[in-house]
Amino acid sequence: MKEWRRTLGAVLTGCMLAGTAAAAGAQSLRLESLPPPATVKPALAKLGWHLFFEPRLSGDGSRSCASCHLPSRGYADGQPLSRGYNGTEYFRNAPGLLSVRLKTRLMWDGRLDGADLATAVRDMVTEAHFMNADGRLIQERIRQLPELLALWREAFGAQSQPYGPQIFVAIAEFLKTLDSGDTAVDRALRGEKVALPAPVREGMALFGGKGQCIRCHNGVLGTDGKAYRLGVPEHPAIADEPLRMITLLRHHATMGVPNYMAERKDLGLYVVSKQAADRGRFVTPALRGLTHTGPYMHNGMLATLDEVVAFHDRGGGPGSELQPLGLSVRERAALVAFLRAWSAPLPVVVEPPAYDFWSAGAAR
Amino acid sequence: MRHLATGWAAMLLAAAVFPAVAADPVAGGFGPLPPVSVPADNPMSAAKVELGRLLFWDTRLSGNASTSCASCHAPQTGWGELEPLSRGYPGTRHWRNAQTILNAAHYSRLFWDGAVDSLEQQAQSAAEGAVAGNGDAAMMEMRLRLVPEYVTRFREVFGTEWPRIHHAWQAIAAFQRTLVSDPKKVPFDRWLAGDAGALNAAAQRGYALFVGKAGCVQCHGGPLLSDQGFHALGVPRHAWADSDPLVQITARWQKLQRGVSAVQYKGSDDDLGLAYLTRNPADAGRFRTPSLRELRYTAPYMHNGAFATLREVVDFFDRGGGEGPNKAPQLRPLGLGATEKKDLVAFLESLSMDQPLLLAPPRVPRSKPLADGGNDARPR
Repeated sequence: MKEWRRTLGAVLTGCMLAGTAAAAGAQSLRLESLPPPATVKPALAKLGWHLFFEPRLSGDGSRSCASCHLPSRGYADGQPLSRGYNGTEYFRNAPGLLSVRLKTRLMWDGRLDGADLATAVRDMVTEAHFMNADGRLIQERIRQLPELLALWREAFGAQSQPYGPQIFVAIAEFLKTLDSGDTAVDRALRGEKVALPAPVREGMALFGGKGQCIRCHNGVLGTDGKAYRLGVPEHPAIADEPLRMITLLRHHATMGVPNYMAERKDLGLYVVSKQAADRGRFVTPALRGLTHTGPYMHNGMLATLDEVVAFHDRGGGPGSELQPLGLSVRERAALVAFLRAWSAPLPVVVEPPAYDFWSAGAAR
Repeated sequence: MRHLATGWAAMLLAAAVFPAVAADPVAGGFGPLPPVSVPADNPMSAAKVELGRLLFWDTRLSGNASTSCASCHAPQTGWGELEPLSRGYPGTRHWRNAQTILNAAHYSRLFWDGAVDSLEQQAQSAAEGAVAGNGDAAMMEMRLRLVPEYVTRFREVFGTEWPRIHHAWQAIAAFQRTLVSDPKKVPFDRWLAGDAGALNAAAQRGYALFVGKAGCVQCHGGPLLSDQGFHALGVPRHAWADSDPLVQITARWQKLQRGVSAVQYKGSDDDLGLAYLTRNPADAGRFRTPSLRELRYTAPYMHNGAFATLREVVDFFDRGGGEGPNKAPQLRPLGLGATEKKDLVAFLESLSMDQPLLLAPPRVPRSKPLADGGNDARPR
């Protein structure tokens, strides 16, 4: 009970602080159009493209990055909760990767630095519930794939040998090439004269005005990179399916959460910070490409953008740091129209060919 | 000590009863296996052995929940595998033979190259190794915690609120300490104990060769029929080492894991055996002498499964072994005739129980959802 009061107090304090900050800085908050494409090393990015689709980068050779980050889904997987490695089930939604190069924080709990994509890739490839691979084993597999070995040497030099950490660097280089496309909204943001449909124009105005979306969803991707509690309901599968609870509790255990066996809800940022106020806080997601990456929220509990807008309009769920907005049906529809308009069509993605292992001393 | 004395007594008795064939019985130190030694920090109990039996068959003790201990150490294939090189974790192929775990409790060092010195460590290494179980310790531990029957059993056996993964290795080791040859069922042990009919004439002639002309006893003595030493025999490379990409990948990975020099990594993918542990080039190619007990059920043979039958093994030793570094001085061409080889095989077969030790797979307990909100754990 005492703990509950403390938590509530922290929530209220947090809201007041957030409110003050927003009032002071609201004028300067805005959405921005995409910067120019990243400068990448073409040979390195090409190698990374192959590796992104290579299932032999997982422990049992069955799962690639693309297994949970499907190009056809904006590099999300279309599931509320992602599948994870064989023999496991994950407890969160797989986020899309379009323009991931511009994110400041990665993972729903923000535990990884967006400026260091290679480390994030390493985490995904070696993590027991994602790809569960051993860095040295996968480097030796690449040595046995002559086509990949040739690409490797184009990227790293004629004398180079596949080396675990450089695998992650190559995939990170490929990820830097994934951008959301330019939209009419971007052109409007750049000040170009574009004829946006009326609902989109209205939604854009609401986004920065009555909807208050801009307070957290700002900048190039529509995210401030900070974590908030919205009171999204727990996904029931986490409690109902042992495989998901196993993954959640192991995450808590390996992140050093006190008394982790009793922490059976997704704690969000708290797992990183261990600050009570951060319980249930998740990093503001990017908004570009939303039409491709549903379902939404950290646990995929909201299936459509209409549900997402309605949820925010209600002020979120229990314990939320949001306020009810009092939007009309028309206003909610306008916001959805705007969000949709900020999604460019998906670029056509060509998957690399699949290669067979060669047995040869030649690969030595 | 007491058991050793018993063994010697039995052997001397055998020598007295069969003076014609017991060429040099004293040199062998044969006898029934003594009771297994049990580490002070992992005492045996029936409940622990039963828990270990369940865990031995539990595929959740691997990365993708596909592979249990029994996957590569199956009772019906002599608690090992029929494949020369173990199947390993899915997506991989191991570079060595999955040896039988029967009587493994009597080894002072485990794995072909003696990498670890306890069954507890062996279980952990196999479950976690990327080409064996590829399991993550924290993941495997949490899987056990979502199985109510395990929670109860671990609490009863180890006294912890929740299963802990190192206790799983202890329980599996305790189970393995029960998987030993029963001397009453082993013809050679019965013969040593005075049952003159336990070995037929061919096996008795084979015994004479074993301790005499063939010199097997130089390394295969004692109750275990192994000196537990490390010797280089020049066993040929398995053909798969040159044809199977997965074996080649594993071989290089194993070298990386063992921290070999760049010269060794680049120079050759031969299996260096004991040298990985000792870093001594003089130990390259040395592997631990395997016990000869239960040979009938544990083909194929040698660290890389190079030989499918006991006759092939005998032929190999008859040739004085193969080519390779640090070759054991005990090996020399033996000049065995065809009948002698048959006799030797007959004796080797008498070192196994009359029937294989078989256990049916247990019903592995199921995981269930935890009560919500931590209600069955300590309050927040």
